[in-house]
Amino acid sequence: MKKKFVKTMAVGLTAAMAATTLLAGCGGSGSDKTEGGSETVTLTFPVWDLASNPYLDDIVSGFEESHPDIKINVVDVAASEYTNKLSVMLNGGADCDIVYIKDADGTPSYAEKGQLEDLTEYAEKDGIDTSKYVSYDAFNLDGKQVAVPFKTDYYVLYYNKDIFDAAGVEYPSNDMTWSEWEEMCKKLTSGEGSSKIYGGYLHTWQACVENWAVQDGENTILGPDYSFMKPYYEMALRMQDEGTIMDYSTLKTSNINYASPFQQGTVATLPMGTWFSPVMIAKKAAGESDVNWGIATLPHPDGVPAGSTVGSTTPMGINANSKYKDQAWEFIKYACGEEGASKLIARGQMPAYQDDTTMESLAAYEGMPEGAAEAMKTTSIVLDRPIDSASAEVNQMLGEEHSLIMIKEKPIDDVLKEMSDRSKEIQGE
Amino acid sequence: MVKKKNPVTRVLIYVLLIALTVITLTPLIWMLSSSLKLDSEVFSVPIKWIPENPQWSNYAKIWEKIPLLTFTFNSVKLTVIITIIQVITSSFAAYGFAKCKFKGRNILFLLYVATMAIPWQVYMLPQYSLMNTFHLVDTHIGYILMQSFNAFGVFLMRQAFISIPDELLEAARIDGLSEYGIYAKIALPLSKASITTLVIFTFVTIWNDYMGPMIYLNTETKKTLQLGIQMFIGQYSTEYGLVMAVSVLALIPVLVIFLIGQKQFVQGIASSGIKG
Amino acid sequence: MSGKAKAKKKGLSLVVRQNLIGYSFILPNFIGFFIFIFIPVIFSLVLSFSSWDGFNEIEFNGLNNFIDIFHDRVFVGAIWKTAYFSFFTVIFSMAASLILALLLNQKIKARGLFRCALFFPYVASVVAVSVVFNAMLQPDYGPVNEFLKFIGIANPPGWLASTDWVIPGLIIVNVWRNMGYFMIIYLAGLQNIDQSLYEAAEIDGAKGWARFWKITWPLLSPSTFFVVMMLIINSFKVFDLIYLMTQGGPGTASTMMSQYIYNQAFISWDYGKSSAAAMILFLIVALLTAFQFKAEKKFVNY
Repeated sequence: MKKKFVKTMAVGLTAAMAATTLLAGCGGSGSDKTEGGSETVTLTFPVWDLASNPYLDDIVSGFEESHPDIKINVVDVAASEYTNKLSVMLNGGADCDIVYIKDADGTPSYAEKGQLEDLTEYAEKDGIDTSKYVSYDAFNLDGKQVAVPFKTDYYVLYYNKDIFDAAGVEYPSNDMTWSEWEEMCKKLTSGEGSSKIYGGYLHTWQACVENWAVQDGENTILGPDYSFMKPYYEMALRMQDEGTIMDYSTLKTSNINYASPFQQGTVATLPMGTWFSPVMIAKKAAGESDVNWGIATLPHPDGVPAGSTVGSTTPMGINANSKYKDQAWEFIKYACGEEGASKLIARGQMPAYQDDTTMESLAAYEGMPEGAAEAMKTTSIVLDRPIDSASAEVNQMLGEEHSLIMIKEKPIDDVLKEMSDRSKEIQGE
Repeated sequence: MVKKKNPVTRVLIYVLLIALTVITLTPLIWMLSSSLKLDSEVFSVPIKWIPENPQWSNYAKIWEKIPLLTFTFNSVKLTVIITIIQVITSSFAAYGFAKCKFKGRNILFLLYVATMAIPWQVYMLPQYSLMNTFHLVDTHIGYILMQSFNAFGVFLMRQAFISIPDELLEAARIDGLSEYGIYAKIALPLSKASITTLVIFTFVTIWNDYMGPMIYLNTETKKTLQLGIQMFIGQYSTEYGLVMAVSVLALIPVLVIFLIGQKQFVQGIASSGIKG
Repeated sequence: MSGKAKAKKKGLSLVVRQNLIGYSFILPNFIGFFIFIFIPVIFSLVLSFSSWDGFNEIEFNGLNNFIDIFHDRVFVGAIWKTAYFSFFTVIFSMAASLILALLLNQKIKARGLFRCALFFPYVASVVAVSVVFNAMLQPDYGPVNEFLKFIGIANPPGWLASTDWVIPGLIIVNVWRNMGYFMIIYLAGLQNIDQSLYEAAEIDGAKGWARFWKITWPLLSPSTFFVVMMLIINSFKVFDLIYLMTQGGPGTASTMMSQYIYNQAFISWDYGKSSAAAMILFLIVALLTAFQFKAEKKFVNY
């Protein structure tokens, strides 16, 4: 009796799933015949933070103007849940033509499932100059170009000029090592209690320690041996003890966001991504911060040339199940090409498509501090997390272990060993 | 019941209650005070309970930056419809589980309760595929169907009906009432307090639900208040002042429902029926 | 015409008729429940015996997922942490909510306001709750530790910044969130108690505690059963509070089963392992439920 029930259930479920798979793709995005006989196609384009990223609207409206037969249906999702929602949409068979990937290291997980169209031929047909893109080849997985870089961000050093002036310290140069930075932070630290000025700031993300360890491009967060991170953890703990940066557990337990201390002028130097510039500009324009800020190149490890930095790239791909791949490619060509790039720059964002004028025009963006063009010059950009299917899981694990070091619950060596063991377990599978 | 208590005990009770209330209300005070701050001041250390210069404009900004009126309307609509369906169908089913004898009753009830142990994240994807097959994704009706039939309400109402004495029902049967009549005329009126509880709980759950609408609703005009709150939480920066301002506004309907509902919890009302 | 005669006329036996009436009550809710909840749940439990990336074909792989997760130290740790967390959450929440319900069922001034205030933690945005409690439990300057230092405890716990104290800290916050919610259920339960019973007890001379143990407690047993069940289920499933307060940290010190399930599904994209972990969670709760049902039959007074 019971067995029969289970059997019936199983058959029913299989049928339901099969039906689902068959029906996937027959949904809302579609085409409407217009009177002239030409068809209007609607592409579904999920994005995050539409309101705070106005360049997305700029690009969509620019594209719709130049392509009257294609409409873009933008689906706005909260940033923290975007990756979940995108994968539920793709896996659940909902309409989604353009796959805008928030964390680049998630790309392989879509590609391995066969959810991303191979764009190699599209790019060749249209003669795309791939050399103009930052980390174009990183998205070539097993010989398939599964996505095209759209936007890029990398770490620079933000600083508060007033604190430097008050302490009589020279502004940071674009060629500085991490140990020089550490020394500089000591000179900039002053005061006590709530009026204390901190020379430096390392945010609670593991990236804000581990990125400096992978900056030389020799190691990645995949390890599996993590002893190369030791000097940077030692530096972070030393600075914490000396009080030149805020304590990790204070930051964590009081939910402090890196932006507030810098905008309030209690932090002198802040290594942070280029995404922070438009935020600062907007805050100053709104009169919510009066910090006199500047940008310098990210400090680098000893023996590594100045201008080598760590960053990430945000790519776009096409859903392999999309019915309108050609139209989706038109959009990607537009968004990730010259037109899209100019629209990004117009909002102070850095496009992945770059030519000689990119840095100049970006530095000329209203509100960008002087010397930004020089400071943003790079010699190499290492990806913070390699495009690998184990990246996300390893990164999660590193985040867990990172906190144990930073709250001084366990000695660095023990934790690094633990990281190594767990990393092997994850990647061994 | 109402006996004159020892004055010392009375004072102790009040002191305890007031202390608990103060602790309980700190997050509310924090929300209120943060809703009047700039983002950079929200997490200042140590906490500033009274903002230095209150940003009343936060409460104006939230209406300009997002279509708050539409979101509120959607939230009210969904919450009311789901609460009604939930209360009617689950009290109906609960009567069956509590007072009818039929084959497979206990197994079926166990199935209901056991599904509550499965975190939604686990069956979210199959559920989404199913909804997508029926073309119910990005529709209010899909969300209503998904939220209206959970086990919680059935379980809660069953416990209420169980405490109704069987003799009372038997008497009604002899008087010629059908089971449906007994449900409507005896069981429901006797369980007012539990129905109120279910109304409050369903209302609060749906009103505060974030993940459901997040996964199921795409179109701007169909979104709810909780999704609106999230619009101020960005990838790299969050406008906490505005988040808290919307959160404070979102609390009002829930507290109103609660204040009205809790009046049902007055001893004596429920027992009046049984005495007869 | 009596029911029996009617049934005979239609040619249905009493038992069939009773069954049909029973089913007719269940049906409206059951159809929706079966399609929108039960089928997806069963489907995901079947997944625990398979490997699935969420998109391509499902391959059955027997017990491999279970072997994998029991070799995963994070998962094994999560089971114990969840049990520890749940045990104390259930006991303290139940006690607190019962006491509050008894207090607030009396005629006292501003009763509605007190009830409302105590229900508030459940309604308040979890974001606000997590922020406030992070601050309250802050090891160096948080009010809780200031108070502990004031009463002479030299080395107060590190709470959320310590692997030993993070779970007790979370239990406090969770009990605080729960007590108002379950207070409501107890309040509703108290309304269902027939006043005449108290009057009868009065005549028998039962007062105070005796009255509580003889009447209130036994007659509240359906509510207690519900409260304990819901507390067990909710605390085993606890997710958003911990996700917002500690993200399962420091290290994996507060990584509970639901966190693990979530991480497997949405970070590692391993639906098989995620479902297997959910299956274990399901079995634990089902076992406790079955045990409770046995107890309900014995102790619940109806």
